[in-house]
Amino acid sequence: MSTTLHWLTLAAYILGSLISMGFLVHQRQGLYRMGMALLWIGFGLHTLALATAWVEGGVLPATSLRQSLDMFSWALMGAMLVINLRLEVKILGALAGPVCVLLLLAASVLPVMPVVKTAAFRSGWIILHIISIMAGYGLLALTCLGGVLYLGQDRALRAKKMGPLFRRLPSLGRLDSLNQASLLAGFLLMTIGLISGAVYAQMFMGSYWRWDPKEVWALITWLMYAAMLHTRLVQGWRGRRGAWLSVAAVAALVITFLGAGLLANGYHSFSSMAELGGPRP
Amino acid sequence: MKLHLVGLSHKSAPLEVRECLAPPPEALPTALRQCLDLPGVREALMISTCNRVEVLAATEDQVGQDELAAWLCAGRSLAPERIGEHLYRYQGAEAVSHLFRVASSLDSLVVGEPQILGQIKEAYRAATEAGTTRTVLNRLLHKTFQVAKRVRSETNIGGAAVSISFAAVELAKKIFDSLEGLSALVVGAGEMAELAVEHLMAQGVRRVLVANRTLERAMELARGWGGKAVGLGELGAVLGEVDIVIASTGSPQAVITAKMARAAVKARRGRPLFFIDIAVPRDVEHAVGELDGCYLYDIDDLTSVVEANRAGRAVEAAQAEHIVAEEVVKFTAWLAGLEAVPTISALAAKAEEIRTAELARTLKDLSELSPEQAAALDRLTQALAKKLVHDPIMFIKGASHDKSPDTMRQQLALVRRIFNLEENGGE
Repeated sequence: MSTTLHWLTLAAYILGSLISMGFLVHQRQGLYRMGMALLWIGFGLHTLALATAWVEGGVLPATSLRQSLDMFSWALMGAMLVINLRLEVKILGALAGPVCVLLLLAASVLPVMPVVKTAAFRSGWIILHIISIMAGYGLLALTCLGGVLYLGQDRALRAKKMGPLFRRLPSLGRLDSLNQASLLAGFLLMTIGLISGAVYAQMFMGSYWRWDPKEVWALITWLMYAAMLHTRLVQGWRGRRGAWLSVAAVAALVITFLGAGLLANGYHSFSSMAELGGPRP
Repeated sequence: MKLHLVGLSHKSAPLEVRECLAPPPEALPTALRQCLDLPGVREALMISTCNRVEVLAATEDQVGQDELAAWLCAGRSLAPERIGEHLYRYQGAEAVSHLFRVASSLDSLVVGEPQILGQIKEAYRAATEAGTTRTVLNRLLHKTFQVAKRVRSETNIGGAAVSISFAAVELAKKIFDSLEGLSALVVGAGEMAELAVEHLMAQGVRRVLVANRTLERAMELARGWGGKAVGLGELGAVLGEVDIVIASTGSPQAVITAKMARAAVKARRGRPLFFIDIAVPRDVEHAVGELDGCYLYDIDDLTSVVEANRAGRAVEAAQAEHIVAEEVVKFTAWLAGLEAVPTISALAAKAEEIRTAELARTLKDLSELSPEQAAALDRLTQALAKKLVHDPIMFIKGASHDKSPDTMRQQLALVRRIFNLEENGGE
């Protein structure tokens, strides 16, 4: 069931992304609405697919890299669609859409792992930990996208030609709202995710903090975003400097998400998850 | 009656020649009356803007343009021959066409800019006040305003990003998204700056600050926009409060430095500042444009932005030219008909004169007629006279519409000889 839904989601995302890219080229409002509608349908299917996998597997589907990528794709799409309801950054569909498609494709080719069904994975804390971290990552990825677009429009404005790029990119004001909103919400969710993770670790492993590579990188990432928020709100680094920071911070985020999970060997890595037992006495 | 137009514009003459030719506004009525003193000139009008100086005159047939050109060049700071080489001269339909094109903003530096029509209206008002326009120019100018209106409503020439103000608004929208509730600062004054402010206000800019060398002028402008006047010395302080800065002072050195701009962005917590520098030499230091959060456009940048929109405008301009050509044909037909008017009225007058004289003689002999019978006789003679001159009049009217001016003149002369009408000009 969840596999069929997975492929249907992928199909809707691919079609929606292509139509959104068509809008980017031709600037027809009809294409924009059609692309967005398809992405919304895809997101609905995606949610359904994850929910089915959850029910079928008995635990939140985030126990393998395959499932994590799948879920990250869902989070990014959701963040983009929800933010777009308010801010209408019309170009986002054509940019976030393909990223979600690539994430889903990567998830599709990765091997299916046996689902770990231990009591530890049924705790409310780890569900909160995973969902808020994922949603936070999705929003912060959007901040990075907004930052790149900001740098693009900044360049286009300084080039002093009303070229095709100038006309298609959103205004600086709107990108600034996007960056601020996604940064605030993303940072908040990431914070909730880290705290709930620490509480979970205390409950099931006996300590809040264990210097696991993923934990360390998550802390570094969190500090970077905290610094970014501070410079933006206090020093007013919302222009080019803020945009560059958001790009740099996302690099740390990728290391946390992929690198620390795959390369370093801590308990957060997917291979060692199976070994994780139930609550410690 | 003939129409003549002599003048020069940004296309034909450099700035210093245009400057020396432009009369100060208060001297305009005197200049117009002087022009009327030239032999043969019946009506005159003078258009003088920063981009053009033109004299439009309705004259009697025998008067040429050389007198007009000579009058225009005489007594200036430059030698007449230096001015003369830049003059263009049009007559008849060409003059009408030129005026229509100028008023429709097809001949402007920035094609489609809306100021020129107002400037021509102003020139017309000055001429009517000086009493130098009559039938021909009144009709021509009213027609001109209609044509300009038609061009504006039927083509999109003023609608696209044609004017510099419009380009400024487009850019501001790409920086701030919406101009709703923003504040603008105007440094210095001038038509272009004022126009830009009005454009910005139409887009939602709410607060306007005006800084000027003379505080009175600043206060006067600020009052017009419901804004606030500030001194030039306070610039550094108010820069942090505004979003858009329009600079157009005559100052030889920059009035807004990079240091001021950097402090302003800091005070604004990084919210961007948009500088529009339409002054020559420039008012805003070049380095300001490199700062994070500062976007600086000078007059050349804006012009090149406008240039980028030229392709779409060429189509609109072609359409506008078509409208102008159509209206020129209509007006010249009217003007030509005007030439036939004295002959027609002389013919009608002669018929009426004969009729009344003969009727009076007959009535004297028939003294026993009742008033009703006398009235019937009057009607009979009226009908006879009218029917007799009807065909010749139709012939004259037809001649003025269909024939070349020379043929028309010959035919008019023939009609005059046949009916023995005395040669008199006038209207």
